Amino acid sequence: MLLLTTACKKALDINQDPNNPSLDQGNPRLVFPAAAMATAGMEGGDIAILGGIWGEYVTQSALANQYKFIDAYDVKSTDLNAQYSGLFTGGLKNFQFVIEKARDAQDWNFYLMGEVMRAYTAGLLVDLYDKIPYSEALGGTSNLNPHFENGDEIYADLIAGIDSAMTKDFTASSNSAPGTSDIIFNGDMDKWKRFANTMELKLYLRMVNVNPTEAGAGIQKLYTNGAEFLETDAGIFGFTDAPGQDNPLYEQNIRQLNTPNNLRASTTFVSWLQANNDPRIVSYFGTNAPNSIHQGDYLGTDPAYQSAAVFVELPTDPVIFISAAESYFLQAEARERYFSGDQAQALYNQGVLAAFASVSQDGSSFINGAYKYPTAGTLEEKIQAIATQKWASFPYGVHFIEGFFEKQRTGYPLTSPVYSTDPSYVPGEFVVSKNSVLPPGALPRRLAYPDVEVSRNANTPELLPITTPVWWAKP
Amino acid sequence: MSNPTFILTHSVLEGEELCVCKLYSLIKHETMRKRLLLFAVLLLFGVWSFSQNSRKITGQVKDESGPVSFATITETNTSNSVTADANGNFTITISGNQITVTAVDHTAQTITVSGSVANITMVRGGQLQEVVVTALGQTRAKAKVGYASSTFNSETINRTAPVSPLDALQGKIAGADISHIGGPGASTKVVLRGYGVIAGGTNQPLYVVDGVPLSDARFGASDNTDFGNSAGDINPADIETITVLKGTAASSLYGSSAKNGAIMITTKRGRAGKLKVEYNGSANFSKVGKLPDFQKTFGQGWSGTFILSENGSWGPKFDGQERLWGSVVDNSQLLKPYSFIDDNIRDFYNTGTEYNNTIALSGGSETTSFYFSYGNVTSNGVIPSNSDNLQRNSFALRTNSKFNKFTINSSFNYINRKMNAPYTGQGASDGSSTFENILQIPVDIKISDFLDYKNKFFNVDNYFTPYAENPYYPLFENRNQQNSDRFFGNLDANYKFTNELSAQLRVGGDFTNARTFAYKAVNAPSPGSWNAGNNPESAPRAPDVGSVTEINNYLGVINGDFILKYNKNLNSDLTLEALAGYNYNQQSQKGVSASITNLVIPGFYNLSNSSVKPTATDATILRRLMGVYAQAVLGYKNQLYLTLNARNDWSSTLPIDNNNFFYPGANLSWIASQTFDLTRTAISLLKFRAAYGKTGSDAPPYNVYPILTIGNVNLPFGSITFPFNNVSAFGIANTLGNQHLQPVITTEAELGTEIRFWKNRLGFDVAVYDKRTDGQIFTVPISPSTGYTGLVENLGLVSNKGIEVSADGKPVVTKDFNWSITYTFSKNWNKVENLTGGPDKVILSSVYDVEMDAFPGKTVTGIYAPIPQFTPDGKIIVNPATGIPLADPTKSYYGDAAYDYMMGMVNTFTYKNWGLNFSLDYRKGGVMYSGTADLLLFTGNSYVTTYNDRRPFIIPNSVVQTGVDGSGHATYAENTTPIDELHYDSYWYPTSNLAQSYPDRIIDRSFLKLRDVSLFYNFPKKWASKISATNLNLAVYGRNFLLWTPQSNIYIDPEASNLGNDLTSQLGEFRTAPVSVTFGVQLRATF
Repeated sequence: MLLLTTACKKALDINQDPNNPSLDQGNPRLVFPAAAMATAGMEGGDIAILGGIWGEYVTQSALANQYKFIDAYDVKSTDLNAQYSGLFTGGLKNFQFVIEKARDAQDWNFYLMGEVMRAYTAGLLVDLYDKIPYSEALGGTSNLNPHFENGDEIYADLIAGIDSAMTKDFTASSNSAPGTSDIIFNGDMDKWKRFANTMELKLYLRMVNVNPTEAGAGIQKLYTNGAEFLETDAGIFGFTDAPGQDNPLYEQNIRQLNTPNNLRASTTFVSWLQANNDPRIVSYFGTNAPNSIHQGDYLGTDPAYQSAAVFVELPTDPVIFISAAESYFLQAEARERYFSGDQAQALYNQGVLAAFASVSQDGSSFINGAYKYPTAGTLEEKIQAIATQKWASFPYGVHFIEGFFEKQRTGYPLTSPVYSTDPSYVPGEFVVSKNSVLPPGALPRRLAYPDVEVSRNANTPELLPITTPVWWAKP
Repeated sequence: MSNPTFILTHSVLEGEELCVCKLYSLIKHETMRKRLLLFAVLLLFGVWSFSQNSRKITGQVKDESGPVSFATITETNTSNSVTADANGNFTITISGNQITVTAVDHTAQTITVSGSVANITMVRGGQLQEVVVTALGQTRAKAKVGYASSTFNSETINRTAPVSPLDALQGKIAGADISHIGGPGASTKVVLRGYGVIAGGTNQPLYVVDGVPLSDARFGASDNTDFGNSAGDINPADIETITVLKGTAASSLYGSSAKNGAIMITTKRGRAGKLKVEYNGSANFSKVGKLPDFQKTFGQGWSGTFILSENGSWGPKFDGQERLWGSVVDNSQLLKPYSFIDDNIRDFYNTGTEYNNTIALSGGSETTSFYFSYGNVTSNGVIPSNSDNLQRNSFALRTNSKFNKFTINSSFNYINRKMNAPYTGQGASDGSSTFENILQIPVDIKISDFLDYKNKFFNVDNYFTPYAENPYYPLFENRNQQNSDRFFGNLDANYKFTNELSAQLRVGGDFTNARTFAYKAVNAPSPGSWNAGNNPESAPRAPDVGSVTEINNYLGVINGDFILKYNKNLNSDLTLEALAGYNYNQQSQKGVSASITNLVIPGFYNLSNSSVKPTATDATILRRLMGVYAQAVLGYKNQLYLTLNARNDWSSTLPIDNNNFFYPGANLSWIASQTFDLTRTAISLLKFRAAYGKTGSDAPPYNVYPILTIGNVNLPFGSITFPFNNVSAFGIANTLGNQHLQPVITTEAELGTEIRFWKNRLGFDVAVYDKRTDGQIFTVPISPSTGYTGLVENLGLVSNKGIEVSADGKPVVTKDFNWSITYTFSKNWNKVENLTGGPDKVILSSVYDVEMDAFPGKTVTGIYAPIPQFTPDGKIIVNPATGIPLADPTKSYYGDAAYDYMMGMVNTFTYKNWGLNFSLDYRKGGVMYSGTADLLLFTGNSYVTTYNDRRPFIIPNSVVQTGVDGSGHATYAENTTPIDELHYDSYWYPTSNLAQSYPDRIIDRSFLKLRDVSLFYNFPKKWASKISATNLNLAVYGRNFLLWTPQSNIYIDPEASNLGNDLTSQLGEFRTAPVSVTFGVQLRATF
């Protein structure tokens, strides 16, 4: 009888999934690339489309429909849920696994990689939504309703995480060489340290409107410790022209969508490029004289709209987390704010040149021309110059969202009092979408919590209008 | 007990118990038999003497319409039997004095023979004597069962020559929602007593053939393709009866898989006698059914402007003038009048043809009989080309052998199926969908002209619009094909130890290998061509990158039962029938698929033909279940029957330390008309039923332990996949398994009554039930901030309460003319009782912004979609810039996707050798989303898009927000912004008018169908005999013609769906293939 019971039990013990590895088979080397790609896929997918439109680089085609809701600022809880889920479940959860396993194994290389990417990914969420679940998050069944925490506290913890990782012993024998599983730097830990420092710099600068003291102290400390910053792009390269292997924006918006020409040139961006004779217009829109659509005027019937230039996307475009140009611009701003502008112009120029170079253009004539650094200007004018150049650089590597964020933080480019069809319109100034559903004059400043969180987490705070600035934003 | 001979014999015994000479039948015990037999005879017939010697009896079997062919005449309670000939004549040698006569579709009869001649008149149908097939394939007298069941015979099933057996029963069973959802070979949806399962399982009934569960898989199914459900593979011509057990109480001995009821199929068997040849052949012709109603006023264009390259009818009004249209090719252009084209879509479709032939041979000796059949279906549906095509060859061989106390029956079935399924739903980057293409042709452009899809004006380069493709292109250039081989069968051995005790060992297997091969052609408009952007809108069409997909599915089910049966008369009043058994069930599945996109060599469809790496996946599933069960039926004085049953299962899919579950059931049947003497009343039968049943159902496999999944990143369209640049990656799965998983428990209580009047001239059967499905295993969506999106949990209680009424009557019964009617009515109330511990709602199915949601306290099939924002006093708030309403962030209830109630009616008239039969199927209420409507509203082809003659209009009763008053309340002013002519079209599409688009897309589901009509003629014997036939029958019939739908449905047959054949399909359809109407002729002959 006992034998029979045992035999039966054995016959029934067949429920270990043969189609998927068990959790114990996981390790940082296996999980890190999945996590990094999840972050890249979200940033370079829906978030890039949102950033592209709200950053006024591109606008919805008048011949198609796909992104009208974004261009009309009619983004509701029910929209754009996938990117929120993807950043938490594909990104943060897996980075946490990498961090924990690496810490257990004292593998400080993966530990640093995990901390930096966690900061990048969580930062993206905070910047889009303000408060998010953080210390109570990622616990699975241990907490199905994690509380939301203030963005500044999350920022502080992210910085502390990077700080702690940077103090580890990178010569320890327990470290492993990440090699190709590091799909960002191919195991170059020097670049990871630079990425870590630049990430901290970016987080500190985000705080300047609300926590200037903390921001200043943090940046001073970075420099005191001799921090080195990125001089190359941090991001995922290596995309190829094949389904599932290509740039996520290309995959989502071109390859797999039946209408590949939704994202057309916005007059906001095009007018600025044209006003400055900026050759990047060819890189971005394929021609020197693209037809453009006034932001959000997708119901417009201007015949030229039909041939408005489609934003140039290539399957091999990278997804950038922080570009070399952005690193230089961040440093220039830090120098300007905390070191009396020491080296700021040089860093700004390096930023402009790097931004041009990233799209295979030469900006050398511009740094002494149209984009000359206003050395004699006020701090605000300098910040404006830096922010404007940053804005113009973000289409590279589908990093549009950063243009939207930095507009929130710095206020630049300025918002035009008139629509871009008005003769008094200043090229490059943000306009309110023609078909805005928001109260007159209002621009979107954040996303509302997505339905996937609202409907499933009892502790989700009350939804605020998308016109409410996030905690670090310039009011 | 799948041996039909045995079944019939059994039925005689059981039926007899309720006959006048009931005392006799109580006696199955040999030793008591003679004594009591004598007693009975004395009692009932007075003094009687009989001989124990053998004697020869001759006679003829007849019924009200003449001789009954091939009746079985058995010396009562012996194995001595003969088969009557085609004219009903028989000769039998008996040693006793009673014979029992059984025949298909007739009430069994036992008579006492005094002389040497016995002419027997049988009665068609039969009520009390009716036998039903119950769980485990055991046959029991219907009288003894305390739950509802419906049985259909071969004649009913095959009346209009369906390809799939369940299609014949649409609208004929109270409480069964049966719909064929597509073209040839497509799935049939069968839902008994409402949707109970919202996750972790299906709502499909269990299909059982001769006592052995049959798999009902849908291989290769998606919203784009439907290769049918495999229960539809069985050749209807091989079926003797189908018994539908709707309730859990009826099917609980089957355990897990029968929680949604069971469809018990009994196949035809050979009988002793000479070789019998049956031929059953039909030819059908089908036409496309309901099609959308178009507006006839406006032609090609957009925003009121005539634009040559537009895919919609938003252009100017028709003027009937000759206009150039389409692309400019070689400096030339086509000319046509600018006017509406009638029957445009209808002319796109062809006449479908279907040939359905079966030949069956049967016969045998007294100890061994056989049945062999070959069936062939060749069907090509109404869609031009071979893209909706089914070829099925089925072979069946069944044997019954008897050797003393040992009987062994076998059944072997082989089915080869080859099917092409049309590609429905939404096109993708690899190629387009025909149905989307058709709907995007302006109403002034003749669709059928595009048949010449290689013509220079209609080809890939120069088709008139870059927004869609020539609808014929995917039909002829792309393919969705599935070839499958299936074997199922069983061996069933019985040994009778004594008259009271017997054992049965039955082993069944069902093995399918299905090979799906799909491809789409690669194409790109040539540079400089119309569709490369050289059109008035400079709009290029994205190339179809093409694809090849190979899927290989294997499914093997092994099911074994060992059953001990014990029948005993406990005393003169009490009888006992008991059984106990052990069940072993193993399901193993393997699915391997590989696909490529971006084809390099046009027209070459092989996995090697790609510029990119193939993607390959495989999935293996193995699950086992073991169960022990027991059942006892206590009978009291042939009027009260109590059945008790219980089962305990051990399942591999539950946590190993807590993997067993127990569930009992009971039912009671009381034949009140046996208790009370009602012979002086009009009542011929009065029966009351009560049943309670519980069924445990295990979990889907692999929901217990935590796993990693491949690190692919899913995007809203497409995905980024690993390996990426030779790097592999896995991440923690987004669904959390559950180490405390419990089985799902379905309980059902059922009460019913049957009452019949005037010797069966009129009868009613009423059932009420309350079914509760609790602890549903589903992946509860959890907030992504937990790190996971789903948690497998037991939660959620769904109840289905309902009433089912069947009535049948014979208003006219004469020698030559007969009229019979059956009527069914059913109504089901569905409710999500709770989702305790789970989310506020569960989204069960969604398309765009419309969802089918389960909310606690509401129906499981509620349809929710956006509505406008309203002011507190009920005015619509619009966008001041556009005049278009703003959408409320919360979706609103649009209605229940389930029918309010269903009714069916079948009328049969016979006059001499002629017969006319028709059935109506009426399903009232419910709403559905139509993706066909959606696209026609987008393109301005829909009839409703001529509102206000397409002139500017202001949304009635609308306001704009002007600001906020001192107390923070919004202030409003009357809206004066019209939706102007240029933007009239944007009013009709959700991306520009989310608030008000859905009332036009969510339509009434009601319909009334003339489900089938058949006119048949039985050739007189003397004619039939001229071709040596004993029976010759010719019928002409129609299926599904005459469809009535309410005003709001100007789009589609509401039965059509490409969203599956279960709960998700209840949402509606998304640009699916149409359902056809069919006319046919059928010839049946017996030799």
